[in-house]
Amino acid sequence: MADTDQSGAAAPGENILVAEEVTKVFPGVVANDSVNVAIRRAEIHCLLGENGAGKTTLADILYGVYQPDEGRVLLEGEPLELNSPRDAIEAGIGMVHQHFELVPPMSVIENVVIGTQAKQWLDLTEARRRLEEFFADYDVEIDPDAEVGRLSVGEQQWVEIFKTLYFGVEILILDEPTAVLTPQGIDELFRILRRMRDEGLTIILITHKLKEVMDLSDRVTVLRRGKVVGTVDTADVDQRDLARMMVGREVLMQADKAASNVGEPVLEVEEIHLESDTGRGSLDGLSITVGSGEIVGVAGVSGNGQNALFDAVVGVRHPETGSIRITGQDTTESAPHRIATLGVASVPADRIAQGLMMDFSVKENLVLGNQRERQFSRAGILNRGQIDAFAAESIDTYEIKTPSASQITRTLSGGNLQKIIMARELSGQPQLIVAHQPTRGLDIAATEYVRRRLIQERDRGAGVLLMSEDLDEIFQLSDRIAVIYDGRIVAVTEPDATTLEQIGMHMAGASDTDRGSQ
Amino acid sequence: MSEQVADAPQDSPRPDDHEAGAGRDPLSMLFQPGAWRLERRLHTRPVYELYATLIALAITAVIIGLLVIIVGVSPLDAFASLYEGAFGNRESALETLVQATPLILTGLCAAIAFRAGVWNIGGQGQFIAGAIGTWWVYDTMPGLPAPVLFVAMFAGAAVFGAVWATVASVLLVRYGTNEILTTVMLNFVIDSGLSWLLSGPWQANDTPYSQTERMVESTFLPRFFDDSRLHLGFALALVMVAVVHFLVRRTTLGFELRAIGVNKQAASYKGVSVGAAIIAVMAISGALAGLAGAGELLGLHHRINFEFGGQAVGFTGIIVALVARLHPAGVIVVAVAFAGLINGATQMQVGTGIPAALVDVIEGVALVLVLLAAVACRYRLRKIAHHHG
Ligand SMILES: Nc1ncnc2c1ncn2[C@@H]1O[C@H](COP(=O)(O)OP(=O)(O)OP(=O)(O)O)[C@@H](O)[C@H]1O
Ligand SMILES: [Mg+2]
Repeated sequence: MADTDQSGAAAPGENILVAEEVTKVFPGVVANDSVNVAIRRAEIHCLLGENGAGKTTLADILYGVYQPDEGRVLLEGEPLELNSPRDAIEAGIGMVHQHFELVPPMSVIENVVIGTQAKQWLDLTEARRRLEEFFADYDVEIDPDAEVGRLSVGEQQWVEIFKTLYFGVEILILDEPTAVLTPQGIDELFRILRRMRDEGLTIILITHKLKEVMDLSDRVTVLRRGKVVGTVDTADVDQRDLARMMVGREVLMQADKAASNVGEPVLEVEEIHLESDTGRGSLDGLSITVGSGEIVGVAGVSGNGQNALFDAVVGVRHPETGSIRITGQDTTESAPHRIATLGVASVPADRIAQGLMMDFSVKENLVLGNQRERQFSRAGILNRGQIDAFAAESIDTYEIKTPSASQITRTLSGGNLQKIIMARELSGQPQLIVAHQPTRGLDIAATEYVRRRLIQERDRGAGVLLMSEDLDEIFQLSDRIAVIYDGRIVAVTEPDATTLEQIGMHMAGASDTDRGSQ
Repeated sequence: MSEQVADAPQDSPRPDDHEAGAGRDPLSMLFQPGAWRLERRLHTRPVYELYATLIALAITAVIIGLLVIIVGVSPLDAFASLYEGAFGNRESALETLVQATPLILTGLCAAIAFRAGVWNIGGQGQFIAGAIGTWWVYDTMPGLPAPVLFVAMFAGAAVFGAVWATVASVLLVRYGTNEILTTVMLNFVIDSGLSWLLSGPWQANDTPYSQTERMVESTFLPRFFDDSRLHLGFALALVMVAVVHFLVRRTTLGFELRAIGVNKQAASYKGVSVGAAIIAVMAISGALAGLAGAGELLGLHHRINFEFGGQAVGFTGIIVALVARLHPAGVIVVAVAFAGLINGATQMQVGTGIPAALVDVIEGVALVLVLLAAVACRYRLRKIAHHHG
C-alpha cells in the first residue's frame, strides 16, 4: 500500500481548510477522535470510511453544525470559529447534506434565493439571471420556475448544489451525493465537479463507492471508528488498498452466485394502473412476475413508477385496474397488514419516511412490523427477553454501530439506519422481498453482506423484487432484469443476454425529453 | 467503537481544562457574546426532561410570586396559605387526593390518546358520558347483587365513555374529520343531552331541580377513613395508571399506538393498521374518562345534577397530561399537584384575598413553561472554546 502522508506534512500555504486534533464526543460514542485532515485548495478530497466512522460528523464540524469538543478548524492558516452553518457560508464553506433541505412547494429560484437576501424584498430578476447563467454554463437543464417537489431527486440535488454555490462558497462539501443518482447522473455530476475544481473550487466528497473515489478524487482521507487511518494520493492506491484501510482487513468484492432454481411465482402483477395522487408516481399497465428462488431486478431512472410499484405490492395504495397476486393469493385490494402476514418483507427507498420510527429505540425498530409474531409477543404482550436477544443478535451480525440497543434511532449514522432495516426485513424467512435501493448508503462490507444475504434468501426459495438505480447491483444480483419506464415494464431480459448500454437505452425510453412530462 | 464514553457530560458544558486554567473570569465568559451557544441534540435522557420540567415549575412559582407581589400580598404568605390548604394537614392532604382522583383518570385519557398522535379534547364529554353510563346501569338493573352491580356500573361508565370517544374516531378514520373539532363539539352535545335527561326522563320526582334521585347507600364507594371523603376511586385511578403504563410499554397495541404517534406513514408501510389503532386508542382513552365520571358519581356526589362536571376535570386533564409529558406516572404527580393548587387556592382566597382564579393562571403558566422546557431539552448549552491569538 502507498505510504500515508500525515496531513500536516503538506506544504504550508497549500492547505486551505484544516481540521486539527478535532474530537467530537456524543453520549456513548467518540464520533471524531483527534482527527487531523488537511484539505488543499482546488482539490477533490474524498472522505471514506465505514458506516458510523464519523464522516458526516467531521463534515458537520467543518460546516459549523457542531463545534468540536477539542481541537480546532483552520481556514487558510487562521483559526476559524464556526457557530452555525451561517458562519460557515460567510467563511466560504458550503455543504449539501445527505437529506436535502429544500422547500418542496417553492420554485427552484425561490429555494436558491432563500436566506441569501439581506434586503427586505426579493430581487428575483437578478437571481434568475445568475441562475440561468449557471445552468447554461454547466449544461444543466432545469427550469428555474419549476416547483422543487416535482423535480427528480437528481435534479433536486443540483438545486442544492447551485444554492450553495450561489452563496459564493469556495469550499463545497457533498455528503453522499451519488447515492440518489443514476449512472448518467453520476457521470454528469462528476464532469461538472471536475470542471469546478479546475476553476478553483475545493470539493470535499463523502461516498462509499470506491470506483467513484478512484474516478474523481485527487486525495483520500480514510476514517475508521472516528480516527484518521491516513490520507493518500489517489494515484498511489487501488480500490483494494482503500478497502483494506477502511475495514482493516481484506474485503471480498464479489458476491458469488449459483444458477437460479425458479419455482412457483410468488408475485404476479398484471396490467396494473395507478393514478398519481400522492406525488409517488403512477403506473400505466405494468406487469411483472417474480418466481420463488429468483431475483428480478427492476432498472430505471427514479420517478418512472418504482415508488408506485412498491406501494402497490405492499398494499399502501391499490391499483384502479389490474391485479396483484402474492404466493397465489389475490392481494389487489388487501391492506398492508394483511399482505405482511403472507411473508412479504419490504425495504423502502426513503428509510426515514417509510422505514423507521426515528424516535423509537434501535431494538424497537428492529422488530417493527413483526411485533405480533409469536417470537416477539404472546397474547398481545411483548416478550422483552426475545426482543432484546434478537436485537443483540442483529446488531452483532450487521455490525450496527450504536452505543446500545436502547439508543434512540435518530442518532445513528445514515448507513446504520439502513442496516436496521435490512436486519429486520431479512429476518423471519420471507417468501417475497421487495427491496428498493437496499444498499443505499451502506459501506462496502455491509453492501457485500446484504447482497450475499439476498442471494442466500433466493437460494432458500424466496422471490426478490430488486429495484435499484445502481446498474452494477442489478447486473450482479439479478436472474432477470426488467426495465421500468414511464409506469410500464418496457423490456425484460437476462443479465448475460444484454449490456449496460442496452439497459441504459431502455431506461432512457423512446426519447429523452418526455421524462419530465409525467 | 474505539472508546466507550459511558457517562459523557452533555447537559452542562464540559469544563474546558486548558482554558479554565488560563485564569479567565467565568462570569465575563458567560456574558461574552458567542462564548456560549445552543447545539441541537438528537437524544435526551429522561432524567434531563425531569430536571427541565422541575426547573420550569420553579420558574412558574417565581412568576406567580411576582404576580402576587403586584396584587400587594407577600408571596411567602400566599404560598404558605396555598400550601396549608393543599397539604398543610391530614384533612387537607386527603381532600387533595379526593380532587386528584378524577384528574388522574382524565389525565390518562389525554395522555394515551396524545401518545398516539390523536388529539382527544373530548375528555370532558367522555367524563359525563361515563356518569350517564353509571346511572343508566344503576337505573335499569336494580336487582343486581352489590359486587356485580359495582362492576356493572364501572363497566357501563367505561363503555359509555368509550362509545362517545368512538363517535369521533370513526369520523376521523372513515372521513378524515379533524378529531379536535369533533371531540370539542361532542362535549357540547353531551352537555345538552345531560340537561335533557335531568329535566326529563331522569329527573327526581320530589324536587323542582334538574337532578336525578340520590343513589341508594349500598352503591356508595367505600371510603378509606372515617374523617375523609377519600374513596376507593383513588385506588382505582392508581391501578389504571399501572394498567396504562403496562399497555403503552409492554403490549403490541401500545407499541403500535406509539408507532402511529411517531410516524403514521412508516407505521402503515410496516403493516400497522392505523385506523384500527386509532379506534382502539380512542376507545381506551374515552373509557378512562368514563371511569372518572363513575368515580365522582359513586364516590362523592351520588346523584347527577347540572353541576356535575362543573369542575371541568376533562379539560384540566389535558393540561395535566401535557405537563406530565404524557408519562402515566407523571400524571399522578401533576394531578396531585394541580388538585393541591385547586384546594389551596380556596384557602388562599380566604386568608389573603387573592382570587382563587389565580389557579388558572398558574396552570396556564406552568403548561407554557413545561412545553418550553421540552423544547429546550432538545438543545444543549455548550461553551465555545476560543482560540483567538
Ligand atoms: N447527534 C448525535 N448524537 C449522538 N450520536 C451521534 C450523533 N451524530 C452522530 N452520532 C454517532 O456518531 C457516529 C458517527 O456518525 P456519522 O454520522 O459521522 O457517521 P458516518 O461516517 O457519516 O456514517 P454513514 O456512512 O453511515 O453515514 C455514529 O456512531 C453515530 O451513531
Ligand atoms: Mg453519514
